[in-house]
Amino acid sequence: MIRIPCPHCSARNSAEFRHVGEAAPRPDPSTATPEQWRVYLYERSNPAGWTTETWFHTMGCRRFISVERHTVTNEIRSARPVGSTGPGPAEALSARGDAGSPDAGGQA
Amino acid sequence: MWTRKGCVCVPETWTPVARSAITVPGPRSVVDGWEVSTRRSSAALRLSDASPLAKVSVRADPDGALAHALGVRFRSSHRRDGILVVGSGPGEWLLVGGVGAAHQIAEQVRGLAAGDFVTAIDVTHGRALMRLTGRDASRALSKVCAVDLSDAVTPEGAAFRTSVAKLTTDVVRDDAGAGTGEPSYLLHCERSSGQYLFECLLDAGMEFGVEPSGPTVDGGGA
Ligand SMILES: [Zn+2]
Repeated sequence: MIRIPCPHCSARNSAEFRHVGEAAPRPDPSTATPEQWRVYLYERSNPAGWTTETWFHTMGCRRFISVERHTVTNEIRSARPVGSTGPGPAEALSARGDAGSPDAGGQA
Repeated sequence: MWTRKGCVCVPETWTPVARSAITVPGPRSVVDGWEVSTRRSSAALRLSDASPLAKVSVRADPDGALAHALGVRFRSSHRRDGILVVGSGPGEWLLVGGVGAAHQIAEQVRGLAAGDFVTAIDVTHGRALMRLTGRDASRALSKVCAVDLSDAVTPEGAAFRTSVAKLTTDVVRDDAGAGTGEPSYLLHCERSSGQYLFECLLDAGMEFGVEPSGPTVDGGGA
């Protein structure tokens, strides 16, 4: 299980989220070439290491968040609202250890 | 209006009757336009259907005039004039009030908006609401909910949306609403999943002797 410290809701099981994918800067639609769009839509760097990706908290705040995750260890070093550079409103809350055992929230 | 003829109740005029998505076994009766189970339980752990209560979903700027007037932020709740205001998401609130009060609550909310753009929608018949009350309520709920329910993390008034039995559910720790001094949780989910969540909670509470009960009519603990 991956625990994601949602900046709005506090730490939650990754099963509550939808993985949107690696985040990449969106080219300007008025000047981008088809080649640039293809790269933006389909090409991922897929590193074995730190990557910045977008997750959507479907079963919580219903907000997109930007997560820095190590793809080998699954360590997460930051999670903030998409588009924000500062800490999330619930940054302090992630320290208080919500979200219990891996198999809780289960059944069905 | 209903008249009693012998032991059968016959409607004099046609009146629409609403039904909860949750079926609680036991004798039934029509109260405030809802056909409800009149079953009551005095078990140590009770799960009661609270679906007839008015539910209004409100969306607005999280830092706007309405947010200020409601005075409730995401992850907390507050009861005022018999209406429970739940901060169910960033810029999103759930208001729970007495049976049939939804339109009045929505109007009240629009009045507080002070010109800001807000939406207030009656979701009473689109959602299910239930209440789990008893000394072991936290232990039972913990079996299907991963959020730490200890008093330190989830004190009275705490609210959050999370996965409960793999279902997106708004949870409110609302001991005051139960009025018995015991831990109590309100659980709010989509109507179509109401019976499922009810059954899951009965299953989780089995080892604690949980018993189902129909809605309490006197405001239902809103
Ligand atoms: Zn969240």
